[in-house]
Amino acid sequence: MNGPRRGGAAGAIRFTFDGRALLARPGDTLAAALLANGIGLVARSFKYHRPRGIMAAGVEEPNALVTVGAGGREEPNTRATDLFVYDGMVARSQNRWPSLAFDAGSVLGLAAKALPAGFYYKTFFGSAKRWMFYEWFIRRAAGLGDAPTAADPDRFTQRAAFCDVLVVGAGPAGLSAALAAAEAGERVMLVEQDRILAPSLVRDPQDLDPAWAEATAARIGELGGRILLRTTAAGYWDDNLITVSQRLAEPGEPPAGGIAQRLWHVRAGRVILATGALERPLAFAHNDRPGVMLSQAVRTYVRRFGVVPGRRVVIAANNDDAYLTATALRDAGAEIVAVLDTRPVPAGATSGFPVHNDAMPLATKGARHHLREVSARVGGKVMHWRADLLAMSGGFTPVVHLHMQAGGAALEWDDASQSFLPGGARQNVVSVGSAASVAPVGPTPPPENPGKAFIDFQNDVSLGDVDLAWAEGYRSVEHLKRYTTLGMATDQGKTSNMAALGRLAEKQGVAIPEAGLTTFRPPYTPVTMGLLAGRTERDAGAHLRRLALFDVHQAKTPIWQPLGYWKRPRAYPQGGENLAEAALREARSVRTAVGMTDVSTLAKFEVSGPDAVQLLELVCATTVGKLAVGRGRYTFMLREDGLVFDDGTVWRLAENRYLLTSSTGGADRMAVHLSYVRQFLCPQLKVSVVNVQEHYAGIAVAGPTAKAVLAGLIGEEVPRHMSAVGASIAGSPVMVLAASYSGERAFEIYAEASLAEPVWNACEAAVTAQGGSLYGMEAMEFLRIEKGHLVVGGEVDGRLTPHDLALDKMLNKAGGYIGAAGLARPGLTAPGRKQLVGLEAIAGTIPEGAMLVTALGQPAGGHVTAAARRVLESGSIALGQLVDGFARHGEELVATSPTRSQSAAVRVVAPHFYDTAGERYRD
Amino acid sequence: MTDITITALPAAPLHVFEIWSNPAVVANRFEAALGSSLPVLGAALQLSAMRLIRYEPTVWLAEGDPAGLAEILGADGSLTAIGGGVVRVRLGGPGWRSLLMEGGVFDAESADFAAGSSAATLIDHVNVRLYVESDDACLAYVPLSYARDMIHFWTVAAKSLV
Amino acid sequence: MLLITCPHCGPRAQTEFSYERTVDSVVQPGAAPAEAMARLFTRANPRGLDDEIWRHTFGCRAWLVLTRHRMTHAITAIRAAGPEALP
Repeated sequence: MNGPRRGGAAGAIRFTFDGRALLARPGDTLAAALLANGIGLVARSFKYHRPRGIMAAGVEEPNALVTVGAGGREEPNTRATDLFVYDGMVARSQNRWPSLAFDAGSVLGLAAKALPAGFYYKTFFGSAKRWMFYEWFIRRAAGLGDAPTAADPDRFTQRAAFCDVLVVGAGPAGLSAALAAAEAGERVMLVEQDRILAPSLVRDPQDLDPAWAEATAARIGELGGRILLRTTAAGYWDDNLITVSQRLAEPGEPPAGGIAQRLWHVRAGRVILATGALERPLAFAHNDRPGVMLSQAVRTYVRRFGVVPGRRVVIAANNDDAYLTATALRDAGAEIVAVLDTRPVPAGATSGFPVHNDAMPLATKGARHHLREVSARVGGKVMHWRADLLAMSGGFTPVVHLHMQAGGAALEWDDASQSFLPGGARQNVVSVGSAASVAPVGPTPPPENPGKAFIDFQNDVSLGDVDLAWAEGYRSVEHLKRYTTLGMATDQGKTSNMAALGRLAEKQGVAIPEAGLTTFRPPYTPVTMGLLAGRTERDAGAHLRRLALFDVHQAKTPIWQPLGYWKRPRAYPQGGENLAEAALREARSVRTAVGMTDVSTLAKFEVSGPDAVQLLELVCATTVGKLAVGRGRYTFMLREDGLVFDDGTVWRLAENRYLLTSSTGGADRMAVHLSYVRQFLCPQLKVSVVNVQEHYAGIAVAGPTAKAVLAGLIGEEVPRHMSAVGASIAGSPVMVLAASYSGERAFEIYAEASLAEPVWNACEAAVTAQGGSLYGMEAMEFLRIEKGHLVVGGEVDGRLTPHDLALDKMLNKAGGYIGAAGLARPGLTAPGRKQLVGLEAIAGTIPEGAMLVTALGQPAGGHVTAAARRVLESGSIALGQLVDGFARHGEELVATSPTRSQSAAVRVVAPHFYDTAGERYRD
Repeated sequence: MTDITITALPAAPLHVFEIWSNPAVVANRFEAALGSSLPVLGAALQLSAMRLIRYEPTVWLAEGDPAGLAEILGADGSLTAIGGGVVRVRLGGPGWRSLLMEGGVFDAESADFAAGSSAATLIDHVNVRLYVESDDACLAYVPLSYARDMIHFWTVAAKSLV
Repeated sequence: MLLITCPHCGPRAQTEFSYERTVDSVVQPGAAPAEAMARLFTRANPRGLDDEIWRHTFGCRAWLVLTRHRMTHAITAIRAAGPEALP
């Protein structure tokens, strides 16, 4: 093809594009390298599959989207202009089959009249079946790149940074501002999305020597400033928090340090936006052809990358900047065949170029997917030129995105430059350089063929589509955007929003600033998902909370059960047992000999002080103050609305010192609740509440021989049921609390977590010697269900009152506890409430979570909260909630789980199946 | 990046020292007994056998031998042991400041966060309490259940701080 | 992410704090049932300033009462709530 060319050495960096092996020079973007290799066709457009080339040189590039990298490192929709070539880079074009040059999808271009903006919306009318049919084709025809399916092998990290001044953009304005701040002794951070400092000076060294940029940056560094290249300020949030994404490797490039990108959360005292301005294309028929480029971009390719994108050049512009491009091209050996200036009067420095005033491009023609001819309306007449490059400039738009994201920010319309300039803002932010003001422009005549004049290149939206939306009744800019999809692609309308706004304003008959603007949303340029996810090493994100005795359990290869952020042993299978077999063996061990389990995760609070009882009797709905020293009791806690939300035990360890235990799952919630009551509701109380959940590891020893085991361990008399003693095991001080969740004689041994292992080992040896074994959560479930002991999150689900749970006899008759007021509501004692019941299977196995119905097909009157088999006998039993359950003992129901197609006939019984008299755990 | 050492220290006695009434009186008793004042929030007091760090308005962390503290509190507060649930991790080397910025929201790089300073904050979703021992070392008090993960997080992060 | 100036700790990131409830939802212990339930279930929910209770959960753990504008998030007042404390 004629077109781009570069003289000199080809470069030493090897990469491929669509399988073709190519060479690039250090510092090349993929776009520059492709142009240097004479490749002008790089993409097929989103909807019409029109052949597309490279239009810009920066992040505003709408056409040249590629997929780069391999496997999990693949990154689709990467702008070739925002990708620096590295050795071994593999890039390919998107949205084309079988190839870029011969794309079957281009037939859609022929059907363009049937596929204007809004066509997809219209497909929703009519037959759903037909829609399902052509949806299949639409899905395949349109689109951008494919998302990778393999896991990302790279890491991402997130870091905070604080500074007095954050400067966005290391051009001349940004560098100057950063230097001034650094010299004033401020903490400065400067970020630049490009790989080099001051790319505009490399493009236009006539303004200022690029060496100045290096010297200034060095000075800023000496003064302690932090400069990050290849780093984009992506979002502007509350209170001057800016999210900044730093590329440590190019997309698809294996990162040297293992980290691909870093997300900085920067909190800045003030922000200076030196974000520059983006050039606007001109709208005319077939302005999207490969070979039609933005004028300043052309200059960048010539001066920065040494690529001359064409030999015979037409320049079309409404401003003076384009003449700099003419000069640069001529100096590089290209021929300027015409300069089309829309302005009626000749500009200042025309320097011998063939300038035509009052001129506007009409259309382009091409051959072999590249520009070949430009036609224009010049003072009324039509003229043509043979050309392989058309450099266009419709003026400049200051980059105000971050300014607008800052919130409460205003834009001011500047008529001379036909652009919005940043105005005031609620946050401490200011714009400098061309982000704050740009040069004036001349008139921009509308295209004569709006249907083929593209404005949003990435979403294939033409000026004709804007007219269509208006004709169909869409008036507001918000509707225009969504109906046509302009401004909604990955480039977020960087090169299209102003043209659309201008057309809309014309239709509305108002000045552009009155037409309205859509919302500027972060990120400014696309951010890869991994960066937002952060660390990729953990599965599912949350930390694992480890038991103090984790390694001890792990050595026994238990089946682990997640419980909130914890993992607890569910069972310790031996000799090929499955979960059910292991759990049954363990539960039987507890019933017949002795078992031992880790109860460390229980919430535990040490409450001390003369007002300890007062606090506890606010939080707990039972009495606490009647406990003698060394005694404990079961208790439960109500929400302010009277419903039970947690339960546990409370022990009087000393005259003014209590230990409160409650459920594992509710531990963090209880800590907040206690803090709220103590600090906020009752700050005057003389009490200290300390969360000792992790300070103590807990071991439960339960079974008919548990007493003997304990006696052997502590060498003294064991506490009777619901008593507590201090003792010593394996040389460590321990608290022994006699409480039973399993229903057998049981003891909970609390030792300081750092001393837990020798205590555990001593207990295990003693338990094993008695023929007992460890037991896990599953066995614990079997045991407690038989006894009808509640589980928070199961029977206690925040919807039942103490009465519903048959706990009302334990309520503190003096009242005054949190929830007493709520309990007084008539609805909480009305008939028709769900109540705690037991269920035994008449036949079959009761499915957990099943609904309770009188007969299949009838509405549910309750559900199964927990189901298990009896431990020593056979039979399936369960606990549940049933409407008016207390009055329905003996009734036969069906427990049914339609989603699992399981049912069982059940009988409603009292919620205890084993040792209802409670004799097993008393001496 | 300069080498950062990450070391879990052996368990030490840690107590919550909480004042629930007459704070000024307790402060006087403290000063009379030990010759220094109770530290303010964000600061710490290093004595010979014990260090006191103020983390909450009415709570100090007493690290080391708590002898004498119960008497100072008298009827106006109490001591509660919490050491078993805390792992002290020493981050050593001048890079500790940058390391604490990873996954964090607190300005550990500020010149104000100097030796003797303390702060409680959130790092990688974990509530961590910090104490600056010197320019070259910072102690992190990490909940036991999260300690292994946090040490792993810091070890990995330390390798690629730039 | 807001920057909240804790009276004890100075300016800190919002993620260190938890929003708990509004001041108008607080039920005092001992309040009569009708009054208690009215407060629990009725919110003013203004499109403007409201008094809220937050906690500096991952900082000094203090309970805070602050006045926040629900539209702009501007915090116009903030004070600590809790037992008498030394400076």
